[in-house]
Amino acid sequence: MKKKKLQQVKSTMSEMFELPKEITLNMPKLNLIGDSQMLVENHRGIIEYTPNLIRVNSTVGVIKVHGDQLNLRNIAAEDIMITGKIKSIEFI
Amino acid sequence: MIFLKIWNYFLGYLVIRVDGLSLEKFINLCVSRGVKLWGIKRINYTSLTANISIKDFKSLPPIVRIVRCKVKIKEKRGFPFLAYRFRHRKMLIAGMLIFLVILYILSSIIWVVEVEGAQKVDEEVIYKLLEQKGVKAGVYKGKLNLWDIENQLLIELPGLSWVSIELKGTKAIVRVVEGVKPPKLIDTSTPCNIVASKDGIIHQPIVMEGELVVEVGDTVRKGQLLVSGIIEHQDTQIVRYVHARANIWARTWYEGKGQADFSSVLKTRTGRKITHKVLETKNWQINIDTPDIPFDEYEVEEKRQPLLGGDGDKGLAWVIRDYYEVKRSSGRDIDRIAKEKASEEAMENALKNIPNGAKIIDKKFKYDIIKDIGYKAIVYVEVLEDIAEQIELSVN
Repeated sequence: MKKKKLQQVKSTMSEMFELPKEITLNMPKLNLIGDSQMLVENHRGIIEYTPNLIRVNSTVGVIKVHGDQLNLRNIAAEDIMITGKIKSIEFI
Repeated sequence: MIFLKIWNYFLGYLVIRVDGLSLEKFINLCVSRGVKLWGIKRINYTSLTANISIKDFKSLPPIVRIVRCKVKIKEKRGFPFLAYRFRHRKMLIAGMLIFLVILYILSSIIWVVEVEGAQKVDEEVIYKLLEQKGVKAGVYKGKLNLWDIENQLLIELPGLSWVSIELKGTKAIVRVVEGVKPPKLIDTSTPCNIVASKDGIIHQPIVMEGELVVEVGDTVRKGQLLVSGIIEHQDTQIVRYVHARANIWARTWYEGKGQADFSSVLKTRTGRKITHKVLETKNWQINIDTPDIPFDEYEVEEKRQPLLGGDGDKGLAWVIRDYYEVKRSSGRDIDRIAKEKASEEAMENALKNIPNGAKIIDKKFKYDIIKDIGYKAIVYVEVLEDIAEQIELSVN
């Protein structure tokens, strides 16, 4: 309960001061360009990688990306760049 | 992104193939240990390919041991590997460097000097002066003080009013503008007459000062008085001497002759042309272009440009051959083309005599056929021009 309250306070505070939430709340930031490129910042590692499905761990749960011929163009400690044809994105 | 690619190429990178069961773990471990991977492609369930820098590849073994996968190098890309291959071929690299050095040295030397714009001043004189000042083939560009040379040229050749030397690659282009000498002015205080400078028919006299003694339509001869500088007052009979000024527009005639032989127009140029360059020395030639000519019939014009101080026959020379495609003309065409050619030549000759500022009003061609040889053409050109010429009056 206490954690949830803390989260809420953080959320309202960052809204008040217009601070980026992905930093204050430590949430992933997804950046999509059409359906061909996706940048996931603030991730917690890859769980599964196949050409049709990529699962990326994050603080809000697992991000599941369905698509065709998915590649990991760039991968670093902070962000992952996924290219290919993206069909759907799910949060589990 | 392109910058990153060039940077990666410069540092060199490897394309690796990783085989194993838990490849996600491999990726995660790489990321957490700061090993940068890019361009990851999954081939099948147990294998993937990725790009990795040379430096990072050395820190892979501990990761491989933990994940228990196999890493194979598929390809080596980038400049370091290319350089590695050349490590025993020192002369090749030396040759490349020598080539670059020679290229640099050759391109910093003047090879050709060109003078543009000289008409009255003899080009040879300018070339000779330029040579004295150091602008000649085979001179290092950096040594020349162009500003100085330009000024010296201006001083030594009074016929020039402007000189510019431009270095374009290995070519020194010397542009000159010749000064036009001001016409001899007759002081406005000295009285003078105006006479005709040519035969003609007065068309429109515009008198600014003086007394017109001819009328519109009068035929005048060369040297005839047109405007008098002596004005006598009608009533008082007092004579006044003035500096006569006038524009006397008159119709004058010029004539030009031309001739064209039938034999010279048997073949006409179609306008298509091919230029071949040949580098020639005393004993051998180098063809720069392929020597075949795609025309059935052609005419050749050859120009020679000496290189490296070669004067004509000796030394190196560029030979530029222009091949013009020609077409045989049929009987009726020969007649027409010969006529055209003769009249063109006649007009050209006539225009040589017509001064600037004259307006052409009419031209008439007359043709004479010379049997079996060709056409003779005479053109009479009627022009409007100013025939006023000031002549000083001697007042006793």
